[in-house]
Amino acid sequence: MNLLATFKSRRVYLPILSLLVVLGGWELVGRSINPLLFAPPSSIIAMFGELIASGELLAAAKITMQALFLGYILAVIAGIPMGVLMGAWPRFGDILQPYLYAIFSTPRVVVVPLIIVWFGIGFEARLFLVFFWTAIAISVNTAQGVRNARPDLLEVARSFKVGRYQMARHVLIPGAVPFVISGLRIGAERAIVGVIIGEMFLQIVGLGGIITTASSQLLPAKMLCAVAVIAVLGTIIVTTLDMLEARFQVWRNDSN
Amino acid sequence: MKTLSRLETRRDQLIGVALFLSVWEVAAQLFDKPLLLPPVSAILTALWDLIISGELITALGESIFLLIVGLLVAIVIGFVFGTIIARSKTAYWMLNPYFSALFVTPTIALVPLVLVWFGFGFTGRVLVVVLAAVVPILFSVASGLRDAPGDLIDVARSFGVKGEIPLLFTVRLRAALPVLMAGLRLAAGRAVVGMAVAETYLRLGGIGGLIKSYGAVFRTDYVFASILPLSLLGILLVSGIGRIERRLKWS
Repeated sequence: MNLLATFKSRRVYLPILSLLVVLGGWELVGRSINPLLFAPPSSIIAMFGELIASGELLAAAKITMQALFLGYILAVIAGIPMGVLMGAWPRFGDILQPYLYAIFSTPRVVVVPLIIVWFGIGFEARLFLVFFWTAIAISVNTAQGVRNARPDLLEVARSFKVGRYQMARHVLIPGAVPFVISGLRIGAERAIVGVIIGEMFLQIVGLGGIITTASSQLLPAKMLCAVAVIAVLGTIIVTTLDMLEARFQVWRNDSN
Repeated sequence: MKTLSRLETRRDQLIGVALFLSVWEVAAQLFDKPLLLPPVSAILTALWDLIISGELITALGESIFLLIVGLLVAIVIGFVFGTIIARSKTAYWMLNPYFSALFVTPTIALVPLVLVWFGFGFTGRVLVVVLAAVVPILFSVASGLRDAPGDLIDVARSFGVKGEIPLLFTVRLRAALPVLMAGLRLAAGRAVVGMAVAETYLRLGGIGGLIKSYGAVFRTDYVFASILPLSLLGILLVSGIGRIERRLKWS
């Protein structure tokens, strides 16, 4: 118990100590460097206050979240049924897999020229950047989950002559859930990067837009504010889904 | 559910690709808007043109060089910090938050900062690849070394392997190899993305620059023709590492 207490306190005070050291050093170095190139923490905090007071940061975050959530929800709605189809008809899944894999492993920054000719540089284009890659992540993982139904449970269920509905309700769906959640997490990571790419390269709006405009105005403090908000947002979303994934991990069976 | 053999699956996939490409060709010819959807034949012509003009080879060479240098630097940094984090709880709690933050921050959001601080020269481009790739390597080194099997280390000790450094190289690293390869595979995928980001955002060069400059003049056929080798590069790299990884699964 005593050991646990010290361990717990160590995981609290060490990160704080290191943060203080890093911020202190950053501040000292930052003050001696040209402010057009480098920003000490004090000026970042001042800039953060300014951006909050003017409402600029909140407005930008709102725009980012709109595209992010709408694209993500559409990806879930399209991705899960697609994945179920691919898993239930392995032949269909096998035929589709190479394309999805190829698209998924293509860096999105190089697809930007194609997206511009297809969707322009407006909201639809940004939405597509979020939606498409997220939907692929979700559908591929869902398909894997549907395919990886535990054979021992299937056997038991068959020997009890359960119906189609019961098979789906008690064996197939619980078996697929952990995979679907993995897909939701991987998809969320993709969605966050997608929304930022759209805002930096297509329509200069939102948090990504702040980074782009601040970099052309040589305002590193403003850039870092937007980066920090993106990092915090991403951490919250990904950790939440991570915890969900860990919770359902016990249902998973990767042995086959 | 009848499971198909590998050969049958391959056959289905080949038929699928042939069908897909012919539908694409016919649709594109009927649709006749090469800006939006160039026919497959035009893309292949563009690809051939890029190959014989040497443009593609030069660009690929430049990209692969950047990729390799970036990955090597990421491996060195990831190895050093991963080892420190694995061997010391204090270092873990002091350093881990920064690497976790780096992992969740989209690399692309950091690129303007790299541009301001390091310029668009080779250093800046390598740094973007490193930022993208270093964390998976570091985490895999840290977790692989932390979970080193105690019995193997005892055996090695009793056979006279003394000291932390020899133990690291004779036992810990070898035991961790499958985990390290998994980290490297993840890192390679991210490094390709970092490379593309660096080449399109910092300074037009390599395959990323090729794609962007053809995109700027709306030659969609050439854009497709230059995206293709880039995707292929990423797929080959990641699946190659995955193949080695599966071979190493002895533990």
